[in-house]
Amino acid sequence: MKQIAFLSVLAAGAVLLPLVIGENPYVIGILISMLMMAALSSAWNILGGYAGQYSFGHAAYFGAGAYTTMILVTLYNLNPLFCIAVGIVVASIIALITGSIVFRLRGHYFGLASIAVAEVVRLSVLNFNFTGGAQGILLTDVALWNLDLNSKIPFYYGMLLVLVVTLSITAYLRRSKTGYYLQAIREDQDAAASLGINIYFYKNKALLLSAALTSVLGSLYGLYIRFIDTSAVLDLRLSIEIILTAIIGGVGTLWGPVIGALLLVPLAEMLRSNLIGDMLIKAGLVSETSGVGLFLKGSLANAHVLVYGIITVLCILYLPKGILGLFRRKK
Amino acid sequence: MIQHLLHISHVSKHFGGNVAVSDVSFSVEEEQIFGLIGPNGAGKTTLFNCITGYFPATSGDVIFDTKKINALRPDEVCKLGMARTWQRVKPLGSLTVLENVMVGAFSVTNIAKEAEANAKEQLQMVGLNDYATKSAGSLPIGLKKKLELARVLATRPKMLLLDEICGGLNHTETDTILDIIRGIRKKGATIIFIEHDMKAVTSICDRIVVLNSGEKLAEGTPGEITTNPDVIAAYLGGGHNA
Ligand SMILES: Nc1ncnc2c1ncn2[C@@H]1O[C@H](COP(=O)(O)OP(=O)(O)OP(=O)(O)O)[C@@H](O)[C@H]1O
Ligand SMILES: [Mg+2]
Repeated sequence: MKQIAFLSVLAAGAVLLPLVIGENPYVIGILISMLMMAALSSAWNILGGYAGQYSFGHAAYFGAGAYTTMILVTLYNLNPLFCIAVGIVVASIIALITGSIVFRLRGHYFGLASIAVAEVVRLSVLNFNFTGGAQGILLTDVALWNLDLNSKIPFYYGMLLVLVVTLSITAYLRRSKTGYYLQAIREDQDAAASLGINIYFYKNKALLLSAALTSVLGSLYGLYIRFIDTSAVLDLRLSIEIILTAIIGGVGTLWGPVIGALLLVPLAEMLRSNLIGDMLIKAGLVSETSGVGLFLKGSLANAHVLVYGIITVLCILYLPKGILGLFRRKK
Repeated sequence: MIQHLLHISHVSKHFGGNVAVSDVSFSVEEEQIFGLIGPNGAGKTTLFNCITGYFPATSGDVIFDTKKINALRPDEVCKLGMARTWQRVKPLGSLTVLENVMVGAFSVTNIAKEAEANAKEQLQMVGLNDYATKSAGSLPIGLKKKLELARVLATRPKMLLLDEICGGLNHTETDTILDIIRGIRKKGATIIFIEHDMKAVTSICDRIVVLNSGEKLAEGTPGEITTNPDVIAAYLGGGHNA
Protein backbone atom coordinates (compact mmCIF):
# COMPACT_ATOMS: atom_id res chain seq x y z
CA MET A 1 0.00 0.00 0.00
CA LYS A 2 2.75 2.39 1.00
CA GLN A 3 4.50 1.57 -2.24
CA ILE A 4 1.39 2.34 -4.28
CA ALA A 5 0.98 5.71 -2.58
CA PHE A 6 4.64 6.50 -3.21
CA LEU A 7 4.26 5.50 -6.84
CA SER A 8 1.15 7.60 -7.32
CA VAL A 9 2.92 10.68 -5.98
CA LEU A 10 5.90 10.01 -8.20
CA ALA A 11 3.75 9.45 -11.27
CA ALA A 12 1.70 12.58 -10.58
CA GLY A 13 4.91 14.55 -10.20
CA ALA A 14 6.21 13.25 -13.51
CA VAL A 15 2.91 14.04 -15.23
CA LEU A 16 2.82 17.59 -13.89
CA LEU A 17 6.51 18.35 -14.36
CA PRO A 18 6.24 19.81 -17.90
CA LEU A 19 3.54 22.22 -16.67
CA VAL A 20 5.82 23.43 -13.90
CA ILE A 21 8.99 23.90 -15.89
CA GLY A 22 7.17 25.25 -18.91
CA GLU A 23 8.18 24.42 -22.44
CA ASN A 24 11.91 24.74 -22.07
CA PRO A 25 12.91 22.43 -24.94
CA TYR A 26 16.41 21.90 -23.62
CA VAL A 27 15.27 20.71 -20.21
CA ILE A 28 12.39 18.67 -21.66
CA GLY A 29 14.89 17.06 -24.02
CA ILE A 30 17.07 15.92 -21.14
CA LEU A 31 14.04 14.66 -19.26
CA ILE A 32 12.97 12.65 -22.30
CA SER A 33 16.44 11.12 -22.52
CA MET A 34 16.24 10.24 -18.84
CA LEU A 35 12.85 8.59 -19.17
CA MET A 36 13.97 6.72 -22.25
CA MET A 37 17.17 5.40 -20.70
CA ALA A 38 15.32 4.46 -17.51
CA ALA A 39 12.78 2.50 -19.55
CA LEU A 40 15.42 0.90 -21.78
CA SER A 41 17.47 -0.17 -18.81
CA SER A 42 14.36 -1.46 -17.01
CA ALA A 43 13.38 -3.50 -20.05
CA TRP A 44 16.91 -4.89 -20.27
CA ASN A 45 16.73 -5.64 -16.53
CA ILE A 46 13.85 -8.11 -16.98
CA LEU A 47 16.16 -10.34 -18.98
CA GLY A 48 19.57 -9.36 -17.61
CA GLY A 49 18.73 -8.58 -14.00
CA TYR A 50 16.00 -11.08 -13.22
CA ALA A 51 16.77 -13.98 -15.56
CA GLY A 52 20.53 -13.32 -15.37
CA GLN A 53 20.90 -13.43 -19.16
CA TYR A 54 23.11 -10.45 -20.04
CA SER A 55 22.30 -9.10 -23.47
CA PHE A 56 25.05 -6.98 -24.99
CA GLY A 57 23.00 -6.34 -28.09
CA HIS A 58 19.80 -4.64 -27.05
CA ALA A 59 20.41 -1.95 -29.64
CA ALA A 60 19.18 -4.54 -32.16
CA TYR A 61 15.65 -4.39 -30.71
CA PHE A 62 15.77 -0.62 -30.29
CA GLY A 63 16.91 -0.29 -33.89
CA ALA A 64 14.32 -2.79 -35.11
CA GLY A 65 11.57 -0.62 -33.65
CA ALA A 66 13.09 2.65 -34.87
CA TYR A 67 13.74 1.47 -38.42
CA THR A 68 10.42 -0.35 -38.85
CA THR A 69 8.46 2.69 -37.71
CA MET A 70 10.49 5.21 -39.68
CA ILE A 71 10.34 3.17 -42.88
CA LEU A 72 6.60 2.58 -42.64
CA VAL A 73 5.83 6.19 -41.79
CA THR A 74 8.05 7.74 -44.46
CA LEU A 75 7.14 5.30 -47.24
CA TYR A 76 3.47 4.57 -46.58
CA ASN A 77 2.48 7.28 -44.16
CA LEU A 78 0.79 4.73 -41.91
CA ASN A 79 -0.60 5.50 -38.47
CA PRO A 80 2.44 5.74 -36.12
CA LEU A 81 0.75 3.56 -33.49
CA PHE A 82 0.28 0.82 -36.07
CA CYS A 83 3.94 1.19 -37.05
CA ILE A 84 5.01 0.83 -33.43
CA ALA A 85 3.04 -2.42 -33.28
CA VAL A 86 4.74 -3.71 -36.42
CA GLY A 87 8.06 -2.73 -34.83
CA ILE A 88 7.20 -4.96 -31.87
CA VAL A 89 6.57 -7.85 -34.24
CA VAL A 90 9.89 -7.33 -36.05
CA ALA A 91 11.84 -7.11 -32.77
CA SER A 92 10.03 -10.18 -31.45
CA ILE A 93 10.97 -12.19 -34.51
CA ILE A 94 14.63 -11.26 -34.10
CA ALA A 95 14.40 -12.14 -30.40
CA LEU A 96 12.74 -15.50 -31.05
CA ILE A 97 15.25 -16.51 -33.69
CA THR A 98 18.12 -15.61 -31.34
CA GLY A 99 16.57 -17.22 -28.29
CA SER A 100 15.39 -20.41 -29.94
CA ILE A 101 18.93 -21.13 -31.10
CA VAL A 102 21.08 -19.85 -28.27
CA PHE A 103 18.97 -20.80 -25.25
CA ARG A 104 19.21 -24.46 -26.29
CA LEU A 105 22.91 -24.37 -25.51
CA ARG A 106 24.23 -24.75 -21.99
CA GLY A 107 26.58 -22.04 -20.80
CA HIS A 108 27.11 -18.36 -21.41
CA TYR A 109 26.55 -18.27 -25.12
CA PHE A 110 23.73 -15.79 -25.01
CA GLY A 111 25.93 -12.79 -24.22
CA LEU A 112 28.19 -13.47 -27.19
CA ALA A 113 25.32 -14.32 -29.50
CA SER A 114 23.49 -11.12 -28.58
CA ILE A 115 26.45 -9.04 -29.80
CA ALA A 116 26.68 -11.09 -32.97
CA VAL A 117 22.97 -10.71 -33.74
CA ALA A 118 23.11 -6.96 -33.14
CA GLU A 119 26.06 -6.67 -35.50
CA VAL A 120 24.26 -8.69 -38.17
CA VAL A 121 21.24 -6.39 -37.86
CA ARG A 122 23.41 -3.28 -37.99
CA LEU A 123 25.37 -4.43 -41.05
CA SER A 124 22.20 -5.55 -42.84
CA VAL A 125 20.59 -2.17 -42.28
CA LEU A 126 23.75 -0.44 -43.50
CA ASN A 127 23.77 -2.43 -46.72
CA PHE A 128 20.11 -2.53 -47.69
CA ASN A 129 18.60 0.19 -49.84
CA PHE A 130 15.17 0.41 -48.29
CA THR A 131 16.77 1.23 -44.92
CA GLY A 132 18.56 4.26 -46.30
CA GLY A 133 21.93 2.54 -45.84
CA ALA A 134 24.60 4.81 -44.40
CA GLN A 135 22.46 7.90 -45.07
CA GLY A 136 19.80 6.94 -42.57
CA ILE A 137 16.16 7.97 -42.69
CA LEU A 138 14.83 11.47 -42.37
CA LEU A 139 11.22 12.01 -41.41
CA THR A 140 9.77 15.33 -42.52
CA ASP A 141 6.27 15.07 -41.22
CA VAL A 142 4.24 12.86 -38.96
CA ALA A 143 0.74 13.15 -37.55
CA LEU A 144 -1.24 11.38 -34.86
CA TRP A 145 -4.73 12.53 -33.84
CA ASN A 146 -4.39 16.26 -33.34
CA LEU A 147 -1.24 16.11 -31.26
CA ASP A 148 1.40 18.73 -31.94
CA LEU A 149 4.28 16.40 -32.80
CA ASN A 150 6.60 19.34 -33.40
CA SER A 151 6.54 19.87 -29.67
CA LYS A 152 8.55 17.58 -27.39
CA ILE A 153 5.73 17.32 -24.87
CA PRO A 154 3.87 14.37 -26.48
CA PHE A 155 7.12 12.42 -26.53
CA TYR A 156 7.77 13.22 -22.90
CA TYR A 157 4.43 11.61 -22.05
CA GLY A 158 5.02 8.77 -24.50
CA MET A 159 8.33 7.84 -22.88
CA LEU A 160 6.82 8.27 -19.42
CA LEU A 161 3.99 5.91 -20.35
CA VAL A 162 6.37 3.22 -21.59
CA LEU A 163 8.49 3.59 -18.44
CA VAL A 164 5.44 3.21 -16.22
CA VAL A 165 4.30 0.17 -18.19
CA THR A 166 7.76 -1.40 -18.00
CA LEU A 167 8.05 -0.81 -14.26
CA SER A 168 4.52 -2.11 -13.69
CA ILE A 169 5.31 -5.29 -15.61
CA THR A 170 8.51 -5.70 -13.61
CA ALA A 171 6.74 -5.09 -10.31
CA TYR A 172 4.06 -7.61 -11.24
CA LEU A 173 6.60 -10.17 -12.45
CA ARG A 174 8.57 -10.02 -9.22
CA ARG A 175 5.60 -11.31 -7.28
CA SER A 176 4.47 -13.84 -9.86
CA LYS A 177 5.45 -17.34 -10.87
CA THR A 178 7.37 -16.09 -13.90
CA GLY A 179 9.45 -13.70 -11.80
CA TYR A 180 10.35 -16.41 -9.31
CA TYR A 181 11.23 -18.73 -12.16
CA LEU A 182 13.46 -16.16 -13.86
CA GLN A 183 15.35 -15.55 -10.64
CA ALA A 184 15.68 -19.28 -10.03
CA ILE A 185 17.21 -19.62 -13.50
CA ARG A 186 19.61 -16.79 -12.69
CA GLU A 187 20.69 -18.41 -9.44
CA ASP A 188 21.13 -22.02 -10.53
CA GLN A 189 19.90 -23.53 -13.79
CA ASP A 190 20.26 -27.15 -12.68
CA ALA A 191 18.32 -26.57 -9.50
CA ALA A 192 15.70 -24.61 -11.45
CA ALA A 193 15.22 -27.39 -14.01
CA SER A 194 14.97 -30.04 -11.31
CA LEU A 195 12.16 -28.05 -9.70
CA GLY A 196 10.05 -28.21 -12.85
CA ILE A 197 11.14 -25.04 -14.63
CA ASN A 198 11.34 -25.21 -18.42
CA ILE A 199 14.44 -23.05 -18.68
CA TYR A 200 14.28 -22.68 -22.44
CA PHE A 201 10.70 -21.43 -22.36
CA TYR A 202 11.18 -18.92 -19.56
CA LYS A 203 14.38 -17.44 -20.97
CA ASN A 204 12.61 -16.91 -24.27
CA LYS A 205 9.66 -15.37 -22.49
CA ALA A 206 11.93 -12.86 -20.73
CA LEU A 207 13.81 -12.06 -23.93
CA LEU A 208 10.61 -11.54 -25.86
CA LEU A 209 9.14 -9.21 -23.26
CA SER A 210 12.36 -7.25 -22.99
CA ALA A 211 12.80 -6.97 -26.77
CA ALA A 212 9.21 -5.88 -27.36
CA LEU A 213 9.41 -3.05 -24.81
CA THR A 214 12.79 -1.98 -26.16
CA SER A 215 11.43 -1.78 -29.70
CA VAL A 216 8.60 0.54 -28.61
CA LEU A 217 11.20 2.90 -27.19
CA GLY A 218 13.14 2.74 -30.44
CA SER A 219 10.01 3.62 -32.40
CA LEU A 220 9.25 6.56 -30.13
CA TYR A 221 12.83 7.75 -30.38
CA GLY A 222 12.71 7.73 -34.19
CA LEU A 223 9.46 9.70 -34.30
CA TYR A 224 10.85 12.13 -31.73
CA ILE A 225 14.25 12.84 -33.31
CA ARG A 226 12.95 12.33 -36.87
CA PHE A 227 16.29 11.19 -38.08
CA ILE A 228 17.92 7.82 -37.54
CA ASP A 229 20.98 6.05 -38.81
CA THR A 230 22.81 2.97 -37.61
CA SER A 231 25.19 4.90 -35.39
CA ALA A 232 22.25 6.49 -33.56
CA VAL A 233 20.02 3.45 -32.99
CA LEU A 234 21.98 0.27 -33.71
CA ASP A 235 25.35 0.98 -32.17
CA LEU A 236 27.09 -1.26 -29.64
CA ARG A 237 27.63 1.89 -27.59
CA LEU A 238 23.88 2.14 -26.99
CA SER A 239 23.74 -1.49 -25.85
CA ILE A 240 26.57 -0.83 -23.43
CA GLU A 241 24.97 2.36 -22.05
CA ILE A 242 21.80 0.42 -21.32
CA ILE A 243 23.73 -2.20 -19.34
CA LEU A 244 25.89 0.29 -17.47
CA THR A 245 22.82 2.24 -16.40
CA ALA A 246 21.36 -0.90 -14.85
CA ILE A 247 24.63 -1.96 -13.23
CA ILE A 248 25.27 1.44 -11.69
CA GLY A 249 21.71 1.75 -10.39
CA GLY A 250 21.34 -1.84 -9.26
CA VAL A 251 20.83 -4.93 -11.44
CA GLY A 252 17.83 -7.12 -10.68
CA THR A 253 16.01 -4.46 -8.67
CA LEU A 254 12.87 -2.59 -9.66
CA TRP A 255 14.27 0.92 -9.18
CA GLY A 256 17.94 0.39 -9.97
CA PRO A 257 17.66 1.20 -13.69
CA VAL A 258 15.63 4.34 -12.95
CA ILE A 259 18.17 5.59 -10.44
CA GLY A 260 20.98 4.79 -12.85
CA ALA A 261 19.30 6.84 -15.57
CA LEU A 262 18.54 9.76 -13.24
CA LEU A 263 22.24 10.00 -12.47
CA LEU A 264 23.92 9.07 -15.70
CA VAL A 265 21.86 10.92 -18.29
CA PRO A 266 22.43 14.37 -16.76
CA LEU A 267 26.06 13.46 -16.22
CA ALA A 268 26.43 12.50 -19.87
CA GLU A 269 24.69 15.74 -20.85
CA MET A 270 27.05 17.78 -18.69
CA LEU A 271 30.04 16.10 -20.29
CA ARG A 272 28.64 16.49 -23.77
CA SER A 273 27.90 20.18 -23.36
CA ASN A 274 31.24 20.65 -21.61
CA LEU A 275 29.59 22.01 -18.47
CA ILE A 276 32.13 20.41 -16.16
CA GLY A 277 35.14 21.70 -18.08
CA ASP A 278 33.67 25.20 -18.22
CA MET A 279 32.92 25.15 -14.52
CA LEU A 280 36.45 24.15 -13.60
CA ILE A 281 37.86 26.85 -15.86
CA LYS A 282 35.45 29.53 -14.60
CA ALA A 283 36.22 28.61 -11.02
CA GLY A 284 39.84 29.35 -11.81
CA LEU A 285 40.90 25.81 -10.88
CA VAL A 286 42.23 25.15 -14.35
CA SER A 287 43.69 27.66 -16.73
CA GLU A 288 41.98 27.69 -20.09
CA THR A 289 45.21 27.68 -22.04
CA SER A 290 46.99 25.01 -20.01
CA GLY A 291 47.22 21.45 -21.26
CA VAL A 292 44.54 20.28 -18.87
CA GLY A 293 42.27 23.11 -19.89
CA LEU A 294 42.64 22.33 -23.55
CA PHE A 295 41.99 18.69 -22.84
CA LEU A 296 38.84 19.52 -20.90
CA LYS A 297 37.53 21.73 -23.64
CA GLY A 298 38.53 19.46 -26.49
CA SER A 299 38.08 15.90 -25.38
CA LEU A 300 35.86 15.64 -22.35
CA ALA A 301 32.81 16.26 -24.51
CA ASN A 302 33.42 12.97 -26.27
CA ALA A 303 34.34 11.13 -23.14
CA HIS A 304 31.01 10.30 -21.60
CA VAL A 305 31.21 6.62 -22.44
CA LEU A 306 34.68 6.55 -20.93
CA VAL A 307 33.34 8.22 -17.80
CA TYR A 308 30.48 5.69 -17.69
CA GLY A 309 33.10 2.97 -17.89
CA ILE A 310 35.11 4.39 -15.02
CA ILE A 311 32.01 4.78 -12.87
CA THR A 312 31.03 1.21 -13.68
CA VAL A 313 34.41 -0.15 -12.64
CA LEU A 314 34.19 1.82 -9.39
CA CYS A 315 30.66 0.48 -8.88
CA ILE A 316 31.70 -3.12 -9.45
CA LEU A 317 34.59 -2.66 -7.01
CA TYR A 318 32.81 -0.77 -4.28
CA LEU A 319 29.06 -1.11 -4.91
CA PRO A 320 28.53 -4.54 -6.45
CA LYS A 321 24.81 -4.23 -5.95
CA GLY A 322 24.63 -0.79 -7.49
CA ILE A 323 23.58 2.43 -5.83
CA LEU A 324 20.35 0.83 -4.64
CA GLY A 325 22.44 -1.80 -2.86
CA LEU A 326 23.64 0.97 -0.53
CA PHE A 327 20.16 1.32 0.89
CA ARG A 328 19.37 -2.38 1.20
CA ARG A 329 20.18 -3.88 4.54
CA LYS A 330 21.74 -7.31 4.47
CA LYS A 331 19.33 -10.13 5.12
CA MET B 1 -0.73 -57.14 -7.44
CA ILE B 2 2.51 -55.34 -6.67
CA GLN B 3 2.73 -51.87 -8.22
CA HIS B 4 6.12 -51.00 -9.63
CA LEU B 5 6.34 -47.23 -9.62
CA LEU B 6 9.85 -47.12 -11.02
CA HIS B 7 11.54 -49.68 -13.15
CA ILE B 8 15.23 -49.38 -14.04
CA SER B 9 16.16 -51.72 -16.86
CA HIS B 10 19.78 -52.42 -17.89
CA VAL B 11 20.85 -48.81 -17.42
CA SER B 12 24.46 -47.93 -18.24
CA LYS B 13 26.24 -44.60 -18.31
CA HIS B 14 29.65 -44.10 -19.89
CA PHE B 15 31.79 -40.99 -19.64
CA GLY B 16 34.21 -41.55 -22.48
CA GLY B 17 35.98 -44.73 -21.46
CA ASN B 18 34.85 -44.47 -17.84
CA VAL B 19 31.85 -46.69 -17.10
CA ALA B 20 30.10 -44.96 -14.22
CA VAL B 21 26.98 -47.15 -14.23
CA SER B 22 26.99 -50.58 -15.80
CA ASP B 23 23.88 -52.57 -16.70
CA VAL B 24 21.93 -51.84 -13.52
CA SER B 25 18.35 -53.09 -13.15
CA PHE B 26 15.92 -52.91 -10.24
CA SER B 27 12.34 -51.98 -9.47
CA VAL B 28 10.87 -49.82 -6.77
CA GLU B 29 7.39 -50.50 -5.44
CA GLU B 30 4.91 -47.86 -4.47
CA GLU B 31 5.33 -46.48 -0.95
CA GLN B 32 8.66 -48.19 -0.53
CA ILE B 33 11.69 -46.59 1.01
CA PHE B 34 14.40 -47.89 -1.22
CA GLY B 35 18.08 -47.60 -0.27
CA LEU B 36 20.84 -47.05 -2.80
CA ILE B 37 24.26 -47.55 -1.24
CA GLY B 38 27.83 -48.14 -2.31
CA PRO B 39 31.34 -46.77 -1.80
CA ASN B 40 32.41 -43.36 -3.09
CA GLY B 41 32.37 -43.26 -6.87
CA ALA B 42 30.09 -46.30 -7.13
CA GLY B 43 27.76 -44.48 -9.52
CA LYS B 44 24.84 -43.64 -7.22
CA THR B 45 24.58 -39.97 -8.10
CA THR B 46 25.17 -40.77 -11.78
CA LEU B 47 22.22 -43.16 -11.69
CA PHE B 48 20.04 -40.42 -10.14
CA ASN B 49 21.16 -38.09 -12.92
CA CYS B 50 20.11 -40.64 -15.56
CA ILE B 51 16.75 -41.28 -13.93
CA THR B 52 15.84 -37.59 -13.57
CA GLY B 53 16.92 -36.49 -17.04
CA TYR B 54 19.97 -34.47 -16.01
CA PHE B 55 21.76 -36.44 -18.69
CA PRO B 56 20.54 -39.42 -20.72
CA ALA B 57 21.67 -42.96 -19.96
CA THR B 58 24.04 -44.41 -22.55
CA SER B 59 21.77 -47.44 -22.78
CA GLY B 60 18.85 -49.00 -20.93
CA ASP B 61 15.38 -47.80 -19.99
CA VAL B 62 13.86 -45.86 -17.14
CA ILE B 63 10.14 -46.46 -16.70
CA PHE B 64 8.21 -44.33 -14.25
CA ASP B 65 4.52 -44.88 -13.63
CA THR B 66 4.35 -47.10 -16.79
CA LYS B 67 5.86 -44.25 -18.87
CA LYS B 68 9.28 -44.40 -20.49
CA ILE B 69 11.12 -41.29 -19.33
CA ASN B 70 14.62 -41.84 -20.79
CA ALA B 71 14.53 -38.86 -23.09
CA LEU B 72 12.68 -36.37 -20.90
CA ARG B 73 14.15 -33.13 -19.56
CA PRO B 74 14.55 -32.63 -15.80
CA ASP B 75 11.59 -30.25 -15.65
CA GLU B 76 9.37 -32.75 -17.46
CA VAL B 77 10.41 -35.49 -15.04
CA CYS B 78 9.58 -33.18 -12.13
CA LYS B 79 6.19 -32.42 -13.64
CA LEU B 80 5.46 -36.17 -13.77
CA GLY B 81 5.91 -36.28 -10.01
CA MET B 82 9.51 -37.29 -9.52
CA ALA B 83 11.74 -34.87 -7.63
CA ARG B 84 15.37 -35.10 -6.61
CA THR B 85 17.67 -33.36 -4.15
CA TRP B 86 21.31 -32.58 -4.88
CA GLN B 87 24.21 -34.13 -3.00
CA ARG B 88 26.12 -30.93 -3.66
CA VAL B 89 23.38 -28.61 -2.50
CA LYS B 90 22.11 -26.03 -4.97
CA PRO B 91 20.40 -23.24 -3.05
CA LEU B 92 19.09 -20.27 -5.03
CA GLY B 93 21.60 -18.18 -3.12
CA SER B 94 20.26 -14.63 -3.30
CA LEU B 95 16.64 -15.65 -2.77
CA THR B 96 15.25 -16.15 0.72
CA VAL B 97 14.63 -19.58 2.18
CA LEU B 98 10.88 -19.10 1.73
CA GLU B 99 11.31 -17.98 -1.88
CA ASN B 100 13.44 -21.05 -2.61
CA VAL B 101 10.66 -23.32 -1.47
CA MET B 102 8.06 -21.25 -3.31
CA VAL B 103 9.94 -21.91 -6.55
CA GLY B 104 9.32 -25.60 -5.94
CA ALA B 105 5.70 -24.93 -5.03
CA PHE B 106 5.04 -23.12 -8.30
CA SER B 107 5.29 -26.44 -10.11
CA VAL B 108 1.86 -27.31 -8.71
CA THR B 109 0.18 -23.88 -8.74
CA ASN B 110 0.32 -20.62 -10.67
CA ILE B 111 -0.89 -18.53 -7.74
CA ALA B 112 1.70 -16.87 -5.52
CA LYS B 113 -0.49 -17.02 -2.39
CA GLU B 114 -0.97 -20.76 -2.76
CA ALA B 115 2.73 -21.28 -3.43
CA GLU B 116 3.55 -19.35 -0.28
CA ALA B 117 1.14 -21.37 1.84
CA ASN B 118 2.56 -24.61 0.48
CA ALA B 119 6.12 -23.39 1.06
CA LYS B 120 5.40 -22.40 4.65
CA GLU B 121 3.91 -25.82 5.28
CA GLN B 122 7.14 -27.47 4.06
CA LEU B 123 9.36 -25.11 6.08
CA GLN B 124 7.34 -26.03 9.16
CA MET B 125 7.74 -29.70 8.29
CA VAL B 126 11.55 -29.62 8.07
CA GLY B 127 11.92 -27.10 10.88
CA LEU B 128 13.18 -24.15 8.87
CA ASN B 129 10.34 -21.73 9.60
CA ASP B 130 12.58 -19.50 11.72
CA TYR B 131 14.82 -19.00 8.71
CA ALA B 132 12.11 -18.14 6.17
CA THR B 133 13.39 -14.61 5.49
CA LYS B 134 17.12 -15.44 5.59
CA SER B 135 18.94 -15.57 2.29
CA ALA B 136 19.43 -19.19 1.27
CA GLY B 137 23.09 -18.70 0.45
CA SER B 138 23.88 -17.73 4.02
CA LEU B 139 22.62 -20.95 5.65
CA PRO B 140 25.07 -23.47 7.13
CA ILE B 141 25.32 -26.75 5.22
CA GLY B 142 23.00 -28.73 7.49
CA LEU B 143 20.19 -26.24 6.96
CA LYS B 144 20.88 -26.13 3.24
CA LYS B 145 20.22 -29.87 3.18
CA LYS B 146 16.92 -29.30 4.92
CA LEU B 147 16.13 -26.59 2.40
CA GLU B 148 16.78 -29.07 -0.43
CA LEU B 149 14.24 -31.37 1.17
CA ALA B 150 11.62 -28.67 1.76
CA ARG B 151 11.97 -27.46 -1.82
CA VAL B 152 11.30 -30.85 -3.40
CA LEU B 153 8.48 -31.57 -0.99
CA ALA B 154 6.78 -28.42 -2.22
CA THR B 155 6.55 -29.97 -5.70
CA ARG B 156 4.29 -32.59 -4.07
CA PRO B 157 6.12 -35.52 -5.64
CA LYS B 158 4.92 -39.11 -5.96
CA MET B 159 8.53 -40.16 -5.82
CA LEU B 160 11.53 -38.55 -4.13
CA LEU B 161 15.16 -39.21 -4.92
CA LEU B 162 17.22 -38.10 -1.95
CA ASP B 163 20.98 -37.88 -2.50
CA GLU B 164 22.80 -37.90 0.86
CA ILE B 165 20.22 -35.66 2.42
CA CYS B 166 21.62 -36.47 5.88
CA GLY B 167 25.25 -35.79 4.96
CA GLY B 168 26.77 -33.26 7.34
CA LEU B 169 23.92 -33.50 9.82
CA ASN B 170 24.37 -34.58 13.44
CA HIS B 171 22.47 -37.48 15.03
CA THR B 172 19.44 -35.54 16.18
CA GLU B 173 19.14 -33.74 12.87
CA THR B 174 19.46 -37.04 11.00
CA ASP B 175 16.72 -38.54 13.16
CA THR B 176 14.46 -35.57 12.40
CA ILE B 177 15.02 -36.05 8.67
CA LEU B 178 14.36 -39.79 8.95
CA ASP B 179 11.11 -39.06 10.77
CA ILE B 180 10.11 -36.63 8.03
CA ILE B 181 10.86 -39.26 5.39
CA ARG B 182 8.73 -41.81 7.23
CA GLY B 183 5.96 -39.21 7.40
CA ILE B 184 6.14 -38.52 3.68
CA ARG B 185 5.96 -42.22 2.92
CA LYS B 186 2.90 -42.54 5.13
CA LYS B 187 1.21 -39.93 2.96
CA GLY B 188 1.78 -42.15 -0.07
CA ALA B 189 5.13 -41.08 -1.52
CA THR B 190 7.87 -43.44 -2.62
CA ILE B 191 11.48 -42.72 -1.78
CA ILE B 192 14.91 -43.69 -3.07
CA PHE B 193 17.49 -42.89 -0.48
CA ILE B 194 21.24 -42.58 -1.11
CA GLU B 195 23.16 -42.54 2.16
CA HIS B 196 26.51 -43.57 3.59
CA ASP B 197 25.30 -43.77 7.20
CA MET B 198 24.47 -47.51 7.41
CA LYS B 199 22.57 -47.12 10.65
CA ALA B 200 20.22 -44.64 8.99
CA VAL B 201 19.86 -46.80 5.88
CA THR B 202 19.11 -50.06 7.64
CA SER B 203 16.72 -48.43 10.07
CA ILE B 204 14.54 -46.81 7.43
CA CYS B 205 14.79 -48.79 4.17
CA ASP B 206 12.50 -51.63 3.13
CA ARG B 207 14.87 -52.76 0.44
CA ILE B 208 18.41 -51.90 -0.59
CA VAL B 209 20.50 -52.06 -3.76
CA VAL B 210 24.27 -51.99 -3.43
CA LEU B 211 26.35 -50.53 -6.26
CA ASN B 212 30.05 -51.09 -6.60
CA SER B 213 32.17 -49.63 -9.41
CA GLY B 214 29.00 -48.97 -11.38
CA GLU B 215 27.67 -52.51 -11.12
CA LYS B 216 24.86 -53.87 -9.01
CA LEU B 217 26.51 -55.98 -6.33
CA ALA B 218 23.51 -57.06 -4.29
CA GLU B 219 19.84 -56.41 -3.64
CA GLY B 220 17.72 -57.38 -0.67
CA THR B 221 16.27 -56.43 2.68
CA PRO B 222 18.51 -54.62 5.17
CA GLY B 223 19.03 -57.93 6.98
CA GLU B 224 20.13 -59.67 3.83
CA ILE B 225 22.43 -56.85 2.79
CA THR B 226 24.24 -56.49 6.09
CA THR B 227 25.01 -60.23 6.14
CA ASN B 228 25.91 -60.56 2.46
CA PRO B 229 29.60 -61.56 2.28
CA ASP B 230 30.15 -59.74 -1.05
CA VAL B 231 28.79 -56.55 0.40
CA ILE B 232 30.83 -56.89 3.55
CA ALA B 233 33.97 -57.46 1.49
CA ALA B 234 33.42 -54.66 -1.00
CA TYR B 235 31.80 -52.04 1.09
CA LEU B 236 31.18 -52.59 4.75
CA GLY B 237 34.68 -53.92 5.21
CA GLY B 238 36.11 -50.98 3.34
CA GLY B 239 36.19 -48.56 6.24
CA HIS B 240 32.47 -47.89 6.66
CA ASN B 241 30.95 -49.15 9.88
CA ALA B 242 27.77 -51.17 9.85
N1 LIG C 1 29.63 -35.51 -15.33
C1 LIG C 1 30.60 -36.46 -15.22
N2 LIG C 1 31.59 -36.53 -16.14
C2 LIG C 1 32.54 -37.48 -16.05
N3 LIG C 1 32.61 -38.40 -15.08
C3 LIG C 1 31.65 -38.39 -14.15
C4 LIG C 1 30.59 -37.42 -14.16
N4 LIG C 1 29.78 -37.64 -13.10
C5 LIG C 1 30.31 -38.69 -12.46
N5 LIG C 1 31.42 -39.15 -13.07
C6 LIG C 1 32.24 -40.31 -12.67
O1 LIG C 1 31.36 -41.39 -12.48
C7 LIG C 1 31.76 -42.18 -11.37
C8 LIG C 1 30.60 -42.31 -10.40
O2 LIG C 1 30.42 -41.07 -9.73
P1 LIG C 1 29.14 -40.77 -8.82
O3 LIG C 1 29.19 -39.34 -8.45
O4 LIG C 1 27.93 -41.27 -9.49
O5 LIG C 1 29.45 -41.68 -7.56
P2 LIG C 1 28.65 -41.77 -6.18
O6 LIG C 1 28.31 -43.17 -5.97
O7 LIG C 1 27.55 -40.78 -6.15
O8 LIG C 1 29.79 -41.35 -5.16
P3 LIG C 1 29.72 -40.51 -3.78
O9 LIG C 1 29.32 -41.44 -2.73
O10 LIG C 1 31.10 -40.02 -3.60
O11 LIG C 1 28.74 -39.41 -3.99
C9 LIG C 1 32.98 -41.51 -10.79
O12 LIG C 1 34.13 -42.18 -11.29
C10 LIG C 1 32.90 -40.10 -11.32
O13 LIG C 1 34.18 -39.56 -11.48
MG1 LIG D 1 27.07 -39.16 -5.06
